Amino acid sequence: MSATEPALMSLTEIAQAIAQKRVSSREVTQSCLDRIAQWQPSLNAFMTIEAEPALAAADAADAALAKGNRQGALHGVPLAHKDMYYEAGKVVSCGSKIRRDWVATTTATALQRLKDAGTVRLGSLQMAEFAYGPTGHNAHYGAVHNPWRHRHITGGSSSGSGAAVAARLTFAALGSDTGGSIRMPAHFCGVTGLKTTVGLISRAGAMPLSQSLDTVGPLARTAEDCALLTGLIAGADPADPTCINRAVPDYLAATRETLQGLKVGVPTAFYVDDLDPEIARILDETITTLKHEGAEIVSVELPDQRQLTAACQLVLACEAAAFHKRWLIERPQDYGPQVLMRLQNGLAISGVSYLEALRWRGPALAAYLAATERAEIVLAPVAPVAAPTIAESDVGNSLDAEAVIQRLTRFTRPVNYLGLPSLAVPAGFTKDGLPGGMQLIGRPFDEATLLGAGAAFQRASDFHARWPEMEMA
Amino acid sequence: MTRPTPRQVKAMADAAGVPVADDVAARIANSIGPAFEGFAPVAGTLPFDLEPASFLVVQNTRAVS
Repeated sequence: MSATEPALMSLTEIAQAIAQKRVSSREVTQSCLDRIAQWQPSLNAFMTIEAEPALAAADAADAALAKGNRQGALHGVPLAHKDMYYEAGKVVSCGSKIRRDWVATTTATALQRLKDAGTVRLGSLQMAEFAYGPTGHNAHYGAVHNPWRHRHITGGSSSGSGAAVAARLTFAALGSDTGGSIRMPAHFCGVTGLKTTVGLISRAGAMPLSQSLDTVGPLARTAEDCALLTGLIAGADPADPTCINRAVPDYLAATRETLQGLKVGVPTAFYVDDLDPEIARILDETITTLKHEGAEIVSVELPDQRQLTAACQLVLACEAAAFHKRWLIERPQDYGPQVLMRLQNGLAISGVSYLEALRWRGPALAAYLAATERAEIVLAPVAPVAAPTIAESDVGNSLDAEAVIQRLTRFTRPVNYLGLPSLAVPAGFTKDGLPGGMQLIGRPFDEATLLGAGAAFQRASDFHARWPEMEMA
Repeated sequence: MTRPTPRQVKAMADAAGVPVADDVAARIANSIGPAFEGFAPVAGTLPFDLEPASFLVVQNTRAVS
């Protein structure tokens, strides 16, 4: 693998290189397509590959640029996204058998904003069925494989997004995070992922799972790349009234901040309990780096996070079952066993229990913010372990399946329930060569501080800049 | 709030219009039970005037501007 391959550059670098005509969109697109052709058979990261249309779009982008017409900040940059973002006229499978041939009639606002910025479509990326699974297994399309270790999971539900960004098949990808679906693949695959504040980015045209918890966000190689993408897709949208009408900060400018004087909270319990020793070591080393860069570490005693996890599960299960009710009646046989089981869980939650879990969300957020008042961000592992193997996490619909899933996602769900932003950054490797990520959890709509801290951490470390020496299947 | 029994799950699924078999009801009760137990300390304690939109109030009043 040559370090001069265009596909190995970051999103920010390649966008500048194309704009300055140091490389053409065709060369960049071809570089990505070459890597996709080489690695897709072993990774299974893509749902569809659209090579010829991508090259034609790249040629059109080059022709426009030659005439002085630069469409936007990502002119001519090839990208692929989780196959749950609707694009009019395209099949959007949502990782399911039920929507295997479903053609979208509208385009997701987030996707449209990236198209308006000039991106080229490489295809679509694999995902957990209906985004309801944290491992990367998919009963219909097969598991996505971790580029760092072929027999290990990628995490989900944005499994293809995590694998494709890590393997340098795309510069970045949209994911979605309802219970950890951006941060888990970022952690397991060694990439940077931003779970945004509920209400920051429009969900119009994004497949729903839970209207209270769903968030749109990017996975990319660096915090700077996440900042670039978030700045392009955030902001009010008439098609999604839950998207807050706030001025979009200059996230790229925020990435030039340092860690000097930043107050970083480290929880005294829950997020530091029962960690795999390798993850505990990575957490300790991250704290050391942050201190070295001038951050002030403060201990924070959080309210009982287990109650947040439970409330999150009640809300998610109930809302997901409601979205899927028609298909649960008409096409239960077309779901994978685990997704069917998890959707059926929602049937056991009464309206009163569901609303009680929703009503508590305000007081729970207020209590969390009060407990973390002394800190601008909170540092925590994304998960208590590095990527397990595909075999050991393939629990299907067994009796302990939900328990296994809950253990994997116990550090991500509280953040979803509170609707907070969280940036997952690569923070180290286990002795077996698997990546380990840390999450920086922020206050509502304070993605700028997270991206600034993440970028500063990445200037002081090189975990984000490593790419896997991939094994063939 | 205690974990639902398989019999209660079956009745609720029926009421929701998505009937399930006995073994499925038992599996659901086993899967979702821990969430009910985890939320039990909160259940039944919330003040009368609290509505779900209080989340947005807290989010927006405590947001970083």
